[in-house]
Amino acid sequence: MKWYKKTAFLLALPWLVTFVVFWLFPLVYSFIIGFTDYELLSDSINWVGFENYKTLLSDEVFLSSLSNTFIFVFGTIPFTTIISLLLALLVNGNYKGRDFFRSAFFMPSVTSMVVIALIFTNLYQRGGYIAMLAQMLGFTTPEYGFLFDKNTALYSIMAMDIWMSVGYYMLIFLAGLKSIPDELYEAADISGASQSKKFFSITLPLLRPVALFILVVNSIKSFQVFQEIFVMTKGKFDTSTAVYYIYDTGLTTNFQFGYVSAAAYILFVIIGLFSLTQFLLIRRRQSLW
Amino acid sequence: MKKIFIYFTAIFLLMISSSIAKTSLEWWQFWTDPTIKPVINKMITEFETINPDIEINVTDLTWSNGHEKIVIAFSSGTAPDIVELGSDWIAQFASKNKIADITKLSKNEFGDYRGWNMATYNDKIYAKPWFLGTRVIFYNKTLLKKAGFDDSFIPYKWDDLKNGAREITALGKKYYGWGSNTAEKHRLYKKFMPFFWSNKAQLFTDDNKFCVLSSIKAIEAIKLYAWLHDSCGYVDNQRGIEDAFLDGKIGFIISGDWLLKRIELEKRRINFGTTLIPGPTLPGRSFLGGEFLAISENSKNKEAAKKFIDFITSAENQIEFCKANRTATPSSKLASQDEYFTSNPNLLIFNKQIHLAVNPPVDPDWVKIEAIIEEAVEEIIFNTDLIAEPLLDAQRKIEKIKGIE
Amino acid sequence: MGITFIMVFPLLWMFRVSLSPVGSLSISEIWTSSSYTLSNYYDLFTSNNMGLYLFNSILVGLIVTISNILFCFTVGYAFARFQYITNKILFVTIILVLMIPAHIIIIPLYLICLEVGIYDSYLALILPWLVNPIGVFLVKQYIDSLPISMEEAARIDGASELRILFKIIMPICKPALAVLAIQVFFTNWNSFLFPYILTQSDQYRTLPVALALFQGHQAIDWQHLMAGSTISVIPVLVIFILMQKQIVSGITGGAIKQ
Repeated sequence: MKWYKKTAFLLALPWLVTFVVFWLFPLVYSFIIGFTDYELLSDSINWVGFENYKTLLSDEVFLSSLSNTFIFVFGTIPFTTIISLLLALLVNGNYKGRDFFRSAFFMPSVTSMVVIALIFTNLYQRGGYIAMLAQMLGFTTPEYGFLFDKNTALYSIMAMDIWMSVGYYMLIFLAGLKSIPDELYEAADISGASQSKKFFSITLPLLRPVALFILVVNSIKSFQVFQEIFVMTKGKFDTSTAVYYIYDTGLTTNFQFGYVSAAAYILFVIIGLFSLTQFLLIRRRQSLW
Repeated sequence: MKKIFIYFTAIFLLMISSSIAKTSLEWWQFWTDPTIKPVINKMITEFETINPDIEINVTDLTWSNGHEKIVIAFSSGTAPDIVELGSDWIAQFASKNKIADITKLSKNEFGDYRGWNMATYNDKIYAKPWFLGTRVIFYNKTLLKKAGFDDSFIPYKWDDLKNGAREITALGKKYYGWGSNTAEKHRLYKKFMPFFWSNKAQLFTDDNKFCVLSSIKAIEAIKLYAWLHDSCGYVDNQRGIEDAFLDGKIGFIISGDWLLKRIELEKRRINFGTTLIPGPTLPGRSFLGGEFLAISENSKNKEAAKKFIDFITSAENQIEFCKANRTATPSSKLASQDEYFTSNPNLLIFNKQIHLAVNPPVDPDWVKIEAIIEEAVEEIIFNTDLIAEPLLDAQRKIEKIKGIE
Repeated sequence: MGITFIMVFPLLWMFRVSLSPVGSLSISEIWTSSSYTLSNYYDLFTSNNMGLYLFNSILVGLIVTISNILFCFTVGYAFARFQYITNKILFVTIILVLMIPAHIIIIPLYLICLEVGIYDSYLALILPWLVNPIGVFLVKQYIDSLPISMEEAARIDGASELRILFKIIMPICKPALAVLAIQVFFTNWNSFLFPYILTQSDQYRTLPVALALFQGHQAIDWQHLMAGSTISVIPVLVIFILMQKQIVSGITGGAIKQ
């Protein structure tokens, strides 16, 4: 038995080492320097306690980036979830070319976010296709392009994010749909249930765990939105998000590490609470059924 | 006996030669393109020949990541002996004592060079000016003529600029009177601040007690800037504006001496002129910046470093560099009096503008203040019809940064 | 099936732009014009270091993928077979890792890389991702479902542990490992934040970072940019088409087991 123990330990070692060095240690380190005034250039590091946190809560730039992040999360998740569910229902049937559609819808999800951001920057520009489309439909488009107007910039990026993500979650919903036993539907058919009754009484409840998974994963991901902002607007026109703020203040110009680590933890706590709430809310609902 | 004597002589000679130890200096600089790098190399070789006990190791930096590299080097204690810094970076390093105070070392040169104030922090000098940079108005003579102005017309006051821009825009759909910058970090403020300063507006009151970004004078300045943008503006980033100007589509743009280089190297056939930034009634104030050479506080060879810096910034070397790079404004007063500069009308304008230019305050907080100003300007010209409110907002934010309540 | 059009259009557009000559056509003209050119691609490789970026992305991607296949396998096996390393620990760490958003560790990681001296090098691009806990979890789940009888038999026959591991179990795990390999490669290929922060010079730049930084000081040169983007997308596309079934099953499998 002892021999097994050694083997097991050796086997697990590479993971343990990389995990501790590159994940656990930074996590703790980040927490600690959140209480200091550490800046890359300064000679001295001073303990400032909760000073950073206090300042952050009255820092307009940080707060506005935080509020943008919330707008992003609450604005994309409902749409992404619903649309991906609809798409999953759409490709669930057995018909010719179904696989093609599945792939087509899924393609954007495996493409680099950077690439997508670049393509959409082009589409959103003044005189680009989206502007043309909007004008054809009778809307007035911002003069310099969607990304240059603080009223449309953030929302344009959100729309792009929804476009990109639905394929991925569609597949997950699909898996969920496929795991619902056919017998349930057959039984419902026998008792003469309508389509919508079947959907609301069988499909939706049984999709709860999948939906929960999607919601939690999607929100964790959405709270950290960064790449799109960096590529498309560099935070201008009111598009700065929490992670972009962390990058801009912590990794450029003044390199204010301590201050920004505190900001990172504020975001971390928010994400944690948010996920927890989702988990509890939806879990509880489930038990009612 | 003879053998021992020979051995001793050999050892003695060896010891002597090794005691003429070479001082090795490390220099980080940004001039890498093929038109100018040879000049840099030549200067280094020349210096090493004159000073055989000093060796220069040069590292090239790019503008995209050079700043970060320098910050990292200073913070980890591995900074080079000599480093080229942009004027807006000096405060950051000076305030943390990463670069050396060279006030005493430069005592005899104060009168010979211009731009010292941009390297002065807390009344101490931290770097030596190498090249200055300013912005002037480039204008298209052909378009002006087309719009009905005669050859001698040069806008020196605001109304001139307005009229000129308006008439050129009226020429037709593909003509614009004014090149207006989009939201570009570290660039937009250099285009707006000239209007601000030309109108004698100030950021802070003289006693530094209050921020007065929303003063009447500032509002007038931004009004003009916004008008030019709305009524005559070709809106794009700096490169796009320059391209359009060189293609003959824009009447007036603000640009720097690199545009002269472009026109010459690309053999552009454009009938253009340069002139001073206009003010309300007389020529106004432009933006002033520059490239500086600083010595790292940790350097063990500060005097040798200063020797090298002095060599690089000597009048002759500056003239040679400017000729190769088409730089308009050397820091050496003597150099600027050379015929190369005085016989060229455009270079003359640049050097005149230096005397009528304002530099941003040497303050580590400036980068934040700059971002706030840029945001306010973007807000005003891109988003709203409001002028006073965004300025008041920015004013409040700046006061917060400076700890003024 | 207008939806398909909406989904597919942007990528098609990218492709078309990448093939059009620089500075010529307006947006409406592009579709009808018949001028196609590969010059954009050519330029990228000759004057823009595209070959280097491609090489970096492939190199890093392959190393990380192979390392993950190897280590996730061994570690997953350890967790699956040697039960006293409680599954609870594993589960908690998995959740933790999922939840540790990148932004928390980005700064410390930056500092660590600077201190240790691996900043701006291949090591910085590879080391933190040698073993992906989610991969470990996947392998563990898979191995859990395998009957232990084969291993027991081999052990009785006197085969060494290593032999059992690699000659017997690994082949069986092929499907799971394939899925893992694809997931890891994709994620790494498209990864932007960490490669951007942890490297600086051109030499170590990967494709996504190069693309994001391409639009530097000049007016955006769409044709070349789109060509670069297409290059980034092609391997993904190819692998995807070839291994569709595995990818789909991998994602859905992982989701259900939650």
